[in-house]
Amino acid sequence: MWAKYLLIVFIFYIFALLQNSFFVNFSLLGINPNLVFILFILLIFFEKKPTNFSNIYFAIIAGFFLDIFSSIPLGWSILILIVIGYLIKKIKEILSEKNDSYPYAYFAIIFTVTFFTYSFLLNLVVYFILKSDVFFNINLVFVFKIIYNLILASGLFFVYKKFMVENNSRQQRLF
Amino acid sequence: MILIQTFMNNLKTFSVNKKRVGFIKFLSGLIFIFIFLFILNLSSPQIKNYFFIASNPVENRFWIAGQTVAKTFDSVLKSGSLIKENTDLKNENHKLLSQIIFLQAEKKSAQVHAEILNKNIENEFDLAIVDVIGMDIHNELTINKGSDDGILEKMPVINQQNILFGKVSKVYKNFSKVTLISDKNSIVNVKIKKDQDIVINSEEELLKEDQEKPYETYGVVKGKGNLQAFLDLVQINDELNPGDVLVTSSLENTFPKDLLVGKIFDVKKNDQSPHQQAEIDLFFDVKVDNLFVITNYKR
Repeated sequence: MWAKYLLIVFIFYIFALLQNSFFVNFSLLGINPNLVFILFILLIFFEKKPTNFSNIYFAIIAGFFLDIFSSIPLGWSILILIVIGYLIKKIKEILSEKNDSYPYAYFAIIFTVTFFTYSFLLNLVVYFILKSDVFFNINLVFVFKIIYNLILASGLFFVYKKFMVENNSRQQRLF
Repeated sequence: MILIQTFMNNLKTFSVNKKRVGFIKFLSGLIFIFIFLFILNLSSPQIKNYFFIASNPVENRFWIAGQTVAKTFDSVLKSGSLIKENTDLKNENHKLLSQIIFLQAEKKSAQVHAEILNKNIENEFDLAIVDVIGMDIHNELTINKGSDDGILEKMPVINQQNILFGKVSKVYKNFSKVTLISDKNSIVNVKIKKDQDIVINSEEELLKEDQEKPYETYGVVKGKGNLQAFLDLVQINDELNPGDVLVTSSLENTFPKDLLVGKIFDVKKNDQSPHQQAEIDLFFDVKVDNLFVITNYKR
């Protein structure tokens, strides 16, 4: 159990490094994918019974790595991600789960909504805490930003589902 | 009857207590998180600096690997347009050849070019060479020198072609953050060099330019975020053309003058506004290895 949580810290760290260095060279219209956020959403989404502990744990790790490489004071992303984790938990409760426990449509909706919420809340922090002159604006570039991140998140969604979820259910059947 | 009533009362008290416990749990959790964040922020610069030192070697390797892979992708993607590019280059070459015939005062022309494009900043300013090792989600570059190396906030950052990148916005012990001129809060005063100011066709024109100083157009470059910016506050009567080059004017005293900023590609005029705007292509490219921080420019 603890090995899993330690491994998650390590993966978040690698994703943060990749996001800040490797993927900068693949920016489209100046937009870089937010890998740490994508991984956070994937973990929460695929958590069988998301508890408050797992939500807060993932939020602390993801938020910490998002803030550590930026100029934002430590902790703001943690708070935002805790809110988003709670939001996902509620959305998952509302959406009925039938044959497929992890339908892609749900994931796409959840990702889009939470990515928008995350960007909005982060802009709120930058505007009020860092005294930025410009507030959140939704334009074509922002829409493209969501699409770009959603495409990458979708790829990772199917990889995660194929290897992690199916492996787990196969193991359960064997026992 | 009394027993039932007592039981119901107990049940109510229990559910109220359960709610209270839940609320207390939530409140204590909230307080714990805030205390945790407060403690975290007490030593935030040290923690960030420690992470930078620990991550620097890996981050640097990822950065270089990303550049290599991106260059390979670029060359594959652009191979289709190579034929067209070759034809364009041939045409351009012919144009340049015809211009060379008219260039009698080659030496003087070279001096003018040097004055505009390469101000020889090395003689005027002290430069600190820095490695770029990353860029965060707010499009701020991370460079590998900090307060220990004499880097201070607001120092201008350029590359070896005198292209302006931005200014140092946050300094840690061993690394710094650079806010690019494309940042939403960035405003840079610029002057517009006409396309024809840069390409000089004959000695007569050179002499003419020396005698009559050309009328200069001024404006400001405002960041749009996501590595984009636009030109604003140019007088409506001033002439703007696609291809005009923007250089720093130093009016705001943040950047030295004549640093290259960008090129106009679309002019937007509105008769109801006293100013005109233009879409611009910024010259800087974040896919770089090294940059220079001007360490002695008066701020």
